[in-house]
Amino acid sequence: MNNPGFNIELKNLSVGYELPGGGPLEILKSINFSASPGEMVALIGSNGIGKSTLLRTLVGFQNYFSGSIQLNGKELRTIGSREIAWVMSFVSTENIRVANMTVFDLVAYGRFPYTNWIGRLTSDDRQKVADAIKKVGLTGFENRQTIQLSDGERQRAMIARALAQDTPVIILDEPTAFLDVSNKYEIFHLLQVLSKEKGKTVILSTHDLNIALREVDKLWIVTEEGNFQGAPEDAVLNGWLNQLFKNENIGFDLKEGEYFFKKKFREKVKVEGEGLSLIWTLRALNRLGYQIVMKAEPDFKVTAGEKSWTFQKGNATEKFNSIYELLMFLEK
Amino acid sequence: MNQKRDNKTLPVRSIFFLLSLLFLVLLVADLLLGSVIVPLKHIFISVFPTAETNETFRTIILDFRLPKAITAILTGAALSVSGLQMQTVFRNPLAGPFVLGISAGASLGVALFVLGFSSVVAFGVVSVSGAWPLAIVAWIGSFLVMLLVLYVSTRVNDIMTILILGILFTSAVSAIVSILQYFSSESMLKAFIIWTMGSLGSVTNAQLSVMAPAILLGILLALFKIKDLNAFLLGENYARSLGVKIISSRIVIFLSTSLLAGTITAFCGPIGFIGIAVPHICRVIFKTSDHLVLVPAVILTGGIVMLFSDIVSQLPGMQTTLPINSVTAIIGIPVIMWMIIKNKKFVSVS
Repeated sequence: MNNPGFNIELKNLSVGYELPGGGPLEILKSINFSASPGEMVALIGSNGIGKSTLLRTLVGFQNYFSGSIQLNGKELRTIGSREIAWVMSFVSTENIRVANMTVFDLVAYGRFPYTNWIGRLTSDDRQKVADAIKKVGLTGFENRQTIQLSDGERQRAMIARALAQDTPVIILDEPTAFLDVSNKYEIFHLLQVLSKEKGKTVILSTHDLNIALREVDKLWIVTEEGNFQGAPEDAVLNGWLNQLFKNENIGFDLKEGEYFFKKKFREKVKVEGEGLSLIWTLRALNRLGYQIVMKAEPDFKVTAGEKSWTFQKGNATEKFNSIYELLMFLEK
Repeated sequence: MNQKRDNKTLPVRSIFFLLSLLFLVLLVADLLLGSVIVPLKHIFISVFPTAETNETFRTIILDFRLPKAITAILTGAALSVSGLQMQTVFRNPLAGPFVLGISAGASLGVALFVLGFSSVVAFGVVSVSGAWPLAIVAWIGSFLVMLLVLYVSTRVNDIMTILILGILFTSAVSAIVSILQYFSSESMLKAFIIWTMGSLGSVTNAQLSVMAPAILLGILLALFKIKDLNAFLLGENYARSLGVKIISSRIVIFLSTSLLAGTITAFCGPIGFIGIAVPHICRVIFKTSDHLVLVPAVILTGGIVMLFSDIVSQLPGMQTTLPINSVTAIIGIPVIMWMIIKNKKFVSVS
């Protein structure tokens, strides 16, 4: 069942909910997105814009009002629920905590659309489950209870379950929420490898923009002003990342490729020094809202040495052994 | 899911074997013990008559104790299976066979009949021993509730809404029943109260011939949905993404539960505790979440628990019996409390 991958096309799509009165509540409209086999796509947008709704519609959990979703040219709503399960697997944000369920049991759920009426696993199914567990790096965890897993391990087990389902398309709703930085990178990397090695189409929503910008092949951006799709770098150059948030205090640093929080600047400071010590001293002062100046007349001066920091204002000087001590002094 | 590795398969099989032995021992004990103690050999020669057969013992065994034992087994199995289904579908360890309001519907039927209708028309005391009319009105009551639940479940997508509606419905019905009790005569009230205490002994062979097929059908439906029940453990979203047709699957499961809980309530009264406790006991014993193991396990364990409750309730050697509902609560609740405290993480469903 290793299908060569599926093209997904969203044409002029409009998604939302049925209101109790019967009328539609459109959340997102005129969406034109596409994804190809071997591509990893990140859906980004601010909270509440409708990312989850779009993903839920994409996996067939809810109806769409107008436009079309096509899988290899076939309209989604004409495909039966079992066939969809052969094409798309889904990882949600739901935290699964079932007593007496081992990692193997959980991953074996991926074989569900292929097993007989009582769900008996064939040796082929077992092999696929074992392969999926190995792929996500959970070998040795097969008999571990799922309720004893850490968040990162559980997320990997859920991805293994999607892998065992052996679908050309994998859709994940915020797979890196609740994870620490190294786990976030590992999950992104794992998904990247899957999309490239097996030609799977991977679509995920995320708020980890800094990682997404470095790891994914394509961004789908939804904002209130409009939608964009393209390479992350195109999104940056076209200014879409600045538009993502309505908050004026959030800016996107085009050089660093990172978001920052705009602050009202306080005193001016001139910093001297070299190497890493200089970079991180600048960052610390920036964090506290001091304005770094090069040529203008500063209010005070800081010299960053290898293991010591000197503060100088007029005739007064102070020496510190760490950035923390320096900052404590400045904040007094 | 079913994980057939040698180190896991063996214990499951041997636990089933031990439980089956316990089941047989309790079945024989249930036939032997009572106000009259029947000698062991008479059980067999009553079922397979020979020259030695004692007619009194034969009547006791075939007309009273055997139907009662079978009723006990069916009751335990039915309530446990429906409790397991409800705990899984609602992903709630406190759910039981009656969360959908099935027993409330049955109570309303009986209350209207015994307290309302009979008092108004005043055609005399309803015979409590002749349980046919009670069974019929109770069945009608639970059947109507079942239709309501099925209608709601096709319209409402969120499973929690159904749970809340079931709880609200149960409360509303008990309010109506209280009003009926308030205005009814003493003898009627007593007849109703006795019905609510539950009884295994009032089921005759004739009634058993209606009850047994209904229960078997309910269990059969449950067996057909083993795979879907497993999927529901992950929640409806995951179940749907695995290809389960949520609404139709839910309807079959509700149908099964209504049939099981409704039939038992109709013939034996609202018997509490079993449906909630037995699935938990089985999760602790078998340490699995796979319904392929759990469904047969609760059938067997439910039968065992009810046989034991029945033996206790008939107070061997004495002329009187205790209400079965009180017995299941008194012997069962300490057990389930102990298990919850001792094995917290294995008891929770999700």
